[in-house]
Amino acid sequence: MVLVAVIVTALLLQTTVFPELTLLGVRPELLYLVTVVFAALQGPAEGAVVGFIGGLAQDFLLNTPKGITALTLTMLGYTVGLARQYITSPSPLLPAVLVALGTAGGVAFHQTVAFLLGEDPGPFSYLAKVILLTAIYGAILTPIFYPALRRAVAATHAGRVVRF
Amino acid sequence: MIVVTLVAASLAIISLDYRAGSQGPLEAAGRAVSSAIAPLQRAVSSVVQPIGNFFTSLGDLPRLAARNEELERQIRELKIQAQLNVELQRQIDSLEQLVGLKVIRQRSVAARVIGSGVSNFDWTITIDQGSNAGVTVDMPVVTGTAAAAELVGRVVRVTPVSADVELIIDRSSAVAGQLSTSHEAGIVLGQGDRDLRMDLLKAGIRFDPHEPESVITLGYEVNGQPGIYPPGLLIGTVSRAYSDPDAVDSFVTVRPAVDFSTLQHVLVLKGGRKDSL
Repeated sequence: MVLVAVIVTALLLQTTVFPELTLLGVRPELLYLVTVVFAALQGPAEGAVVGFIGGLAQDFLLNTPKGITALTLTMLGYTVGLARQYITSPSPLLPAVLVALGTAGGVAFHQTVAFLLGEDPGPFSYLAKVILLTAIYGAILTPIFYPALRRAVAATHAGRVVRF
Repeated sequence: MIVVTLVAASLAIISLDYRAGSQGPLEAAGRAVSSAIAPLQRAVSSVVQPIGNFFTSLGDLPRLAARNEELERQIRELKIQAQLNVELQRQIDSLEQLVGLKVIRQRSVAARVIGSGVSNFDWTITIDQGSNAGVTVDMPVVTGTAAAAELVGRVVRVTPVSADVELIIDRSSAVAGQLSTSHEAGIVLGQGDRDLRMDLLKAGIRFDPHEPESVITLGYEVNGQPGIYPPGLLIGTVSRAYSDPDAVDSFVTVRPAVDFSTLQHVLVLKGGRKDSL
């Protein structure tokens, strides 16, 4: 339930607020941010589940073949969750760095799969711009959303009956 | 292994949706999600848009007073005009009855923009009118008035309470257009964040650099079937012409007439397909 609320909130912000608050014309990828933070706090399996549900929800609002974002975010959540176990850095900037790297990698992967499925890729310069700016924007937004997301993670733990 | 399952599920969804296109069960699920989220989008955007407007208008403050005066003057004029129109309409109605003529009028639905596309690679907007108001896929969407309409895009997906509109700047958008003075035809292609590209059918058209050339929809017919867009809708003005008389193909870039970032109200032209011309 908490997870659904987080995903719906992220989608709402993504489609209403952030189109007006772009960074040089590029809006952030909030679902990528949510997936990375959940994965970093909870581990690979939970990260994959959050990524899958969030990605699928985003796919339903898109006209490109559905499932690409679900695939991207499932793998992103898993990878970040796995990588997090080997990182011992105590730096408070770690979540922001993870979000930046995860977003850049995720967007690149998403567009590669979309291209393989016959979507018009557009010029490479625009793709590079979006990858760079979504990564930077994600890193900027992480400190703002991190406390709320951490509380959401704690809430999912408290209410959990079935564990995957 | 949960990850393997989820990846397999994603791949299954991709291939299923890829094959089924716009008829599949996933599309129905997508419409359900869209119509569930539309009221929320409407609520959020009604709060957010005024704030956005406030910040945008801060830069315009000096011009606002003059603009206000101008608008008030226009309203007075329009009120008089409207009274005259009522009278004219009455005359037209009686004449129509006299002749038995049936004039096809363009009907339209006014809608509010409640959201934008979720991705950086999609140039779409969501509006708050859907199939309940008679909106269907492929209806043209314009802004301004129905008389002097500027083309926004076309409806690509409808739910009962909302509709997704593909903007003409979207990379998959292609509109048949023509130059207003030379009447040369061409295809206007969306280029995302850059100006539109109009591929002209004829090379070596000369442009007057001091006279802004506007581009309007062509309203072509294929096999007796009219296209999606009625003729005469303003698409934009030519921003850069690549006129090389020896070139095999030639194109111009077109700056859209609509400012998509501040778009708030649109009109969906119903029956644009049948009633055009």
